[in-house]
Parts: sequence; C-alpha cells; structure tokens
Amino acid sequence: MSAPKTIPKDAQVMIQILKDMGVTEYEPRVINQMLEFTYRYVTTIIEDAKIYATHAKKSNVDADDIKLAIQCRMDQSFTSPPPRDFLLEVARQKNQTPLPLIKPYTGPRLPPDRYCLTAPNYRLKFIQKKVSSSASRISVPRLSVGAVSSRPTTPTLGTPSVQSVTTKVGTPVSLTGQRFTVQIPPPSQTTTTKTSKPADLYNRTNPDWALSWRLTHTATPSETDCKPSLYKTNLKRYKREKDRRHMDEYNTTRTRVDLHNVHEPGSFYCLTYHATAY
Amino acid sequence: MVDAKDEADIKTEPVSDGFGNNHANDARLLSASPGSSAAAGNSKPAAGAPEDQQTLLAVLQFLRKNKLSESAEILRREAGLPEEVLDLKGGDSAGPGQGGSADTDGGDASSLLSRVTVSTPGVAKAPTKAGEDQPDVNVVLSAYSQQGDPALYEVYYSGLKKFIESVLDCHRAELSQVFYPLFVHMYLELVYNNHESEAKAFFEKFSGDQECYYEEDLRVLSSLTKKEHMRGNETLLDFRTSKFVLRISRDSYQLLKRHLQERQNNQIWNIIQEHLYIDIFDGMPRSKSQIDAMSGSLAGEAKREANKAKVYYGLLKEPEIELPLDDEDEEAENEEGKPKKKKPKKDSTGSKSKKQDPNAPSQTRIPLPELKDSDKLDKIMYMKEATKRIRLAPDNLPSICFYTFLNAYQGLTAVDVTDDSSLIAGGFADSTVRVWSVTPKKLRKVKTAADLNLIDKESDDVLERIMDDKTASESKCLYGHSGPVYGISFSPDRTYLLSSSEDGTVRLWSLLTFTCLVGYKGHNYPVWDTQFSPYGYYFVSGGHDRVARLWATDHHQPLRMFAGHLADVTCTRFHPNANYVATGSSDRTIRLWDVLNGNCARIFTGHKGPIHALAFSPNGKFLASGATDGRVLLWDIGHGLMVGELKGHTDTIYSLRFSRDGEILASGSMDNTVRLWDAMKAFDDLETDDFTTATGHIHLQDNSQELLLGTYMTKSTPVIHLHFTRRNLLLAAGAYNP
Repeated sequence: MSAPKTIPKDAQVMIQILKDMGVTEYEPRVINQMLEFTYRYVTTIIEDAKIYATHAKKSNVDADDIKLAIQCRMDQSFTSPPPRDFLLEVARQKNQTPLPLIKPYTGPRLPPDRYCLTAPNYRLKFIQKKVSSSASRISVPRLSVGAVSSRPTTPTLGTPSVQSVTTKVGTPVSLTGQRFTVQIPPPSQTTTTKTSKPADLYNRTNPDWALSWRLTHTATPSETDCKPSLYKTNLKRYKREKDRRHMDEYNTTRTRVDLHNVHEPGSFYCLTYHATAY
Repeated sequence: MVDAKDEADIKTEPVSDGFGNNHANDARLLSASPGSSAAAGNSKPAAGAPEDQQTLLAVLQFLRKNKLSESAEILRREAGLPEEVLDLKGGDSAGPGQGGSADTDGGDASSLLSRVTVSTPGVAKAPTKAGEDQPDVNVVLSAYSQQGDPALYEVYYSGLKKFIESVLDCHRAELSQVFYPLFVHMYLELVYNNHESEAKAFFEKFSGDQECYYEEDLRVLSSLTKKEHMRGNETLLDFRTSKFVLRISRDSYQLLKRHLQERQNNQIWNIIQEHLYIDIFDGMPRSKSQIDAMSGSLAGEAKREANKAKVYYGLLKEPEIELPLDDEDEEAENEEGKPKKKKPKKDSTGSKSKKQDPNAPSQTRIPLPELKDSDKLDKIMYMKEATKRIRLAPDNLPSICFYTFLNAYQGLTAVDVTDDSSLIAGGFADSTVRVWSVTPKKLRKVKTAADLNLIDKESDDVLERIMDDKTASESKCLYGHSGPVYGISFSPDRTYLLSSSEDGTVRLWSLLTFTCLVGYKGHNYPVWDTQFSPYGYYFVSGGHDRVARLWATDHHQPLRMFAGHLADVTCTRFHPNANYVATGSSDRTIRLWDVLNGNCARIFTGHKGPIHALAFSPNGKFLASGATDGRVLLWDIGHGLMVGELKGHTDTIYSLRFSRDGEILASGSMDNTVRLWDAMKAFDDLETDDFTTATGHIHLQDNSQELLLGTYMTKSTPVIHLHFTRRNLLLAAGAYNP
C-alpha cells in the first residue's frame, strides 16, 4: 500500500514533540494514541474552563479560567508523589518505633482478617417461603413432591444460617391431597408461593407443563398409561420408591448442610442439587 | 553589632542624621538606617530583634520595588526608619561597567554580607553585586529570588568558565565539577522568575559544554521553559531544595573562593553557597578520570561522613542442626550414609569459630522468625546439595540453562526462581502472575474443605494427601492485580509469593492454595520492585513515590520507610544477614539502609543512569550494581568505596547474580548477552590504606577485559533474571523478542 503523501498537521506536530522530548523509537500507533489523549485532555480542560467562566458570570472564557481548569485537573488526575520533606518527616516518625517482636509460630503469619483478602466476597441469600397448605413448614431446602413453580434449574442453595432441620424424616409423604412447595427460590419471587396440583408428566395441555429431562421408569404413573386397575398400585409403588429416594437425598443434603456450617475462610462451598421432576 | 554598623556607616557615606532626610539615590547601606537610628537614639519600633527589623526593611524594599511609594512612605514613617533608598534597578546595570561604581559598594557589600549572615544565621543569603540589593526580600519572600539581571547570567557564567580554563591543569578537573550544578541552578532560577527567553538563550549557549553523562537531565531541562512546568516535577523540586555535593581539594577550593570573592561575582558565590555543598578534603586534587568515575548522580557525590557509619556486613551464624542419617539414603558417594552408624552428624557448614564475627550483627539485632521443622528440613536439604556443589573458577565456568518465555509479546516484566530452583514465576504486563514447576513434579493445590474432612488425618503422608491431584497442572495463573506486575519474589520456604505492580499494591499469594491472601497498600504509585528477606517474614518494596518500605507479612502497614532518594526507587535488595536493605534509584545513586532504625548507612554514586540491578556477594562484604549505562560497579560496603568497574555490556543491565560461593559474577543485559566476570580476582588486593578511606579516592584499574570470563549471546532475548542453583548451575530467563 502506498504511504500517505501528507501526514496531517496534528500528527506532524506530535512527531515533532516526540523528537524534542528525545523519544526516537516508537511504534507508529503511538502517534495516534498521543493525539487521542491530547484531544481528550484539551477538551476536558476547555469544558472545565467554560464551567468556571459561566460560574464567574463571564461571557468569554479567558486565560484565568484555563489556568484554573488546568490546576484542578492536575490535582485530580495527574497527581505527583508527596514532596521530599513530607516523606522525610513521615519516615522519621515511622522509623522511631522499634521493630515489633515476632510471636512464635501459630499458623501463617498474616494481618488481621479484615486486612486480608481471604474472606468470602459473596453471600448466599436464603429465602424463607411460606407454605400455605396445612403441611408443616419445611425449612430445609429439599425437593419435594409437587409443584415445580419454576422451570427446573440448578440453583445454588445453601445459606450460612440454616435453621434446624425439622424432624419430618420418617413420615412418608403421600401425594394425594398434599401440596408442597419446592424451596427453589426463583429470582423474581420473594414471598408468594404458587401451589397447584401436581403437573403430570404427560399432561401436555397444562400450561405449567415442562419437558422433564429425567424420563426414566420412575415417571409418575399416569392414568392413561396403564390399566385403570393397576393405576392405584402403580401409584403407590411409585410413591414408596420416591420416598426412598427422597430420604436418601434428604440425608445427604443434611450432611452437606452440616459441612457447610463449618465455615472455612476462602473455601467456596456450594450446595447444588438438580431439580428432578419425578 | 550596633557599633559595627555605626562604624561602617561613618566610613562610607554621609550619614543620615535622623529621619526625614531626603537622600539622593545612591546606594545606602541597608543596615545604616537601623544603625543610625539607634545612634540617634530615636525610638526604634518594637521590633527589637534584628530579624523583625530585617523583615520590616524587606517589606519596605518590596513596596518600593513595586512603586507603592505612598504606602512605603507611611510604613517608613510609622516604623521610624530614616529614608533611604536602595533602588538600583536591575535594568540599568551594565554588567562589568558597574564594577567601578560598585567597588565601594562591593566593599560594603561584603561587610554587609558578614553582618547579615551574623544577624540571620539560619539564612545563607547575602546581598549580591550592585544589582538589586535585597537580602531580606530574598530571605523573606521567595526561595529563588532574582539575583541579578537575567541578561547578566550569561556573563557570569562565561566569566567563570574563562577563569576555570585558565587555572592549572591539576585544579581544572576539580573545578569543572562546578559547571553542571551551577548551570542547572542558574537556568532554573531564570525559569522560576519567568525570564523565558533569557533562559532559553542561556541554555542554548552553555548546555553543550556539560559532561556527556548529564545528557538525559539536560534534555528534561530543555523542555522545561515555564514556571508551571516545574510544579509537577518532584525530582526537579527536590533537586532545587537539596544540596548538590562536590568534593574538592582544599587548594582548588581556595583558588575558586578567592577568585569569586575578589571580583563582583558574588552572584555566583551566592548560588554556590546556597545550592552546593562543597566537601573539602586535604590532599592531592583528583584527576578527571577519578572524578568521572564517582560523579553522575543527581545529587552530586556522597559526603564523606555519609559513608562513615559502621555497617555490620557479616553474616549471621547458621543454627546448629543435627543432620540425621537416613537409612534410605541412596546417595552413592555419601560415605557417611552407612545404615549401621546411627550417630547423627552435627552440621559443620556453620561457622566453626565460636567467637562472634566483629563485623556481623548480633542474632537479636532485628527480630527474626524462628526456624520451624520444615525450615530445618529445608536446611538439611540445602546442606546436602551444598556438598555436591561444583566449584567454579575461571577455568571451570558454570553451564547456563536459559528459560525462554515464548509468545510473551513483550509482556514479561518480572521473573523469580525459588532458592531450590523448583518453581519459576513470571509477572506480566497484562497483570497476571504465572507460576511454573521446573521439575517434573506438578503444581498441586490444597484440597477444598469438604475433601479435607474426608482424609485420614493420622496417616504418615498426610501432607501428600491434603494435595488435590485432580487439579494438578504444570502452571498456575494468579489473577488479582490491576496493572503490570513489575516485581516478583518467592519466600524462602516456598509457601508465599509476592508480586508488586503498577496499581500501587504488593500482593501476597499462597502457593499452597494459589489464591491471593493479602494486598499491602501503601505506595499509591507504581511499585517497581519487591523482595522477601532471606529468612522470610519481612519484605521490602520500592516504587515511584521515591521511598522504599519494609513490611512484615502480618502487619498491614509498613514497619520502616526509607526516604531520601531524589527519584524513583527502582531496585530493592536485602543483605544476606537481613539487617540492611540496598536500594537503587533513578537518581543514579545506591543507598544502603539500616533496617533497625531506618537510617541511610551508605550512599554510593558513580552510575550514569538509573540502576536496575543489585546483587550482594554471598559473604556480605560487597555489592554489585548494574544500570542503564551498561557498567557493573562493585562496592565495598565496609569502607563505602567503589572497588571495581566492569565494562563490557552495551545496554541496560537488568540482572546480576553472584555464584553460590562468590567466585563468579554473572550479569544479564538488554543487549541479549550473559557475561561472566571473575569476582574473586576483582575483590583481591584492594588498596584500603588510610588515605583511601579518609578521602574516598579510588584508583580503579581498567581491567574489565581481564575479568571478563565469557560472553554468551542469546537469540534476541534480553536477559531479565539470573539464578545460580544450589549446585552452581546458572539459570537465566527472558522473553523472546524477535
């Protein structure tokens, strides 16, 4: 490609400035960067000066405004290190205190925790959901039978402060008539909980129907899939099986929650579980 | 004092006999007025103290100068001063032509000088030539006052130049040292007082005469033409307020003084008195080469008494560690490894003598962390490796293993290697820090808390089990800084890594979890270098704010601040006994600081460019330094002298390292070479007789060629880091730069 015959005047000025300051080796992009910086700096100064001039009720911007603008910018962006006498004074004071004695080894020698970067910089929010049904309050986040009020996702659950686990361990939960809510806190909802009849796996006409990704034989038996006489037994079998799984999961969840209560600095513990729609 | 004034008064001009006497213009002695007023017994205003009087007179002068005659009249009347005018305008003085009329004044001026200096001891101001005779205005109003007509500066300077060129050869070299500081101060004065065109003319005429090694400074100065330009430049402001130190022999000094005082060149004399500190020594004047070797820094040379304090450069005694014999010791050549002999062998690499080395600091001079078991194991490993160390000599040069960082795109800004050479860390311009494992062993993190609960804590290899093998990798990247990482340092026990960056923080990373533990904020400006102490726990950092700070890992604020440099601190190194810190700076000096009380124990001048590399010899006695001028200078810490100069590199030297026993010095530079120098020979036969130590003269031999043992070129890769392994293999690191 042919080199441009004439470089714009601004660029020529910049090249001259670089030469005067003794900079001889530089990439060609440097000129563009310097020009951009110059433009930005000059416009900032002039804008500031305009503000000062209007503040002083002058119609024109004059040299004093510019000088003030430059001075203010210098103090703001282009600060320089403190002057020497100040440094010497501060150093003299600091060097007077004797060196502190070193305590015997009690772990890594780090400053107090508030000056370290080892604390977790996040906080998991635990949302307490009101259960409107007559069922007892379930405070442990766990999957329960029933409505999935939101699309199953993999929420990260867990909270630094977990309430005591209710002792609902043993009672088998029967599906019929009970409504439970899933304690997956949807991001938008805060307190209201929707409860509805459980959505059938194959009830595609239901607006809450969502395609389940766990299409195993543990799918909820539906009336349409088998003989009517078998439906009830199937349902009961399914329930028992589900409760067994549910208890397993509940127990492991509980151990995980306990572990999570042991809060190590710096470790990121995340309670994940997959929402499975049985 | 009053009497003296009286006498002078009577001697010179018709005495003013009280107030209201209107005198003609001629120079009236300033102190004549108070003298006469006292003599006349007139009531003097309450300003009994001479200083207040001077202040009043200064104000009067000022008013007169600004042509506020009415106010001046009122002030004079109220203050009860006789009318006298000292209003020789600067414009009408015609230089040497003034000499005649000013002769009498000159005499008075010098007597006045003595009186003023007596009366105001704290201020070294004196009336100058028959220009504006305002000592008090200077004192009271500004630091850089108008000392004469700007147009005459050139005349003064050329006058001095002519004089110096006419003196004897032996004195000429010494007196030529005066040129540069005088030139700079006169130029700055002109700029400060807004005489832009005169300043430019002055600069153009005389800048070419200065020494070549001041070229960089002169270039900075040439771009400085207005008073506003000086405001932000801290280095220049420091230069103005600090005294430039010159070492001149007594004979030369007498010559200069006589010349300047006999003529009307008190102008220059005053600048010299104010801004230069002349360290006079008795003895032979120095030759040009001697002067050139020592000069070049921004503050002149070092005063002799700055280098007289006692420095404990010896090493601390190694603790006695019992060397247990391993039954599984498989070293073939280890004769003591006989399983049958169960007696543990005492470590014998520590100092054999029970006496304290007089040059070594006491063990408790500064608090040091005690040795943990893991440290003791490390030491044992160290001693085992030491037995297998190769003895280096001019005929037995080390092998050099070069670690080239590919695809770094000029972003590699810092490198460090652990002492046992198992890890390499690189700091990059994109603000990341990467750690690599040099050995086949991969880098492992500690397991998460959940997994740690599951392991068997009582097993023997628990230290292995806490490591997570699933995420083992060759290199780990550490993110956290928000600017290029300019300094890196491993801790001696390999558990921590420090990195200092342009964002003003120094970060401590754990090498067990590979996460950032602490950010030490103190410098608010780029931190150019950082280093752990040889015993861990303490570390030092130096940056753009011209101070170096000493920190401990468990204090969020620095323990010591080493302030004194005139420009950025570019390189910081601990002495092997951890009691001293050496800092190299952009003001071309190296300072040695005492950790105990923060004092500057030594100042070494001689480099002609910013210093980028420092290395202590393993025995603690010597310091080697490398700078942008391509020279390596060797310093004797105990005596505070330069003992060697190694020329050979053609570009900035970025790394220096002594071999483990101190026989070889390796230097790596931007000119893509690694050079090996014979350190043993360089430190042999030092002339340290009394004369040398008293006056600080050195006779450097020009034996760089003999000391150079080898030059090794790399393939367009500047050498940023050098490291001798425990067995004296040389490792070097740099980024490929095609």
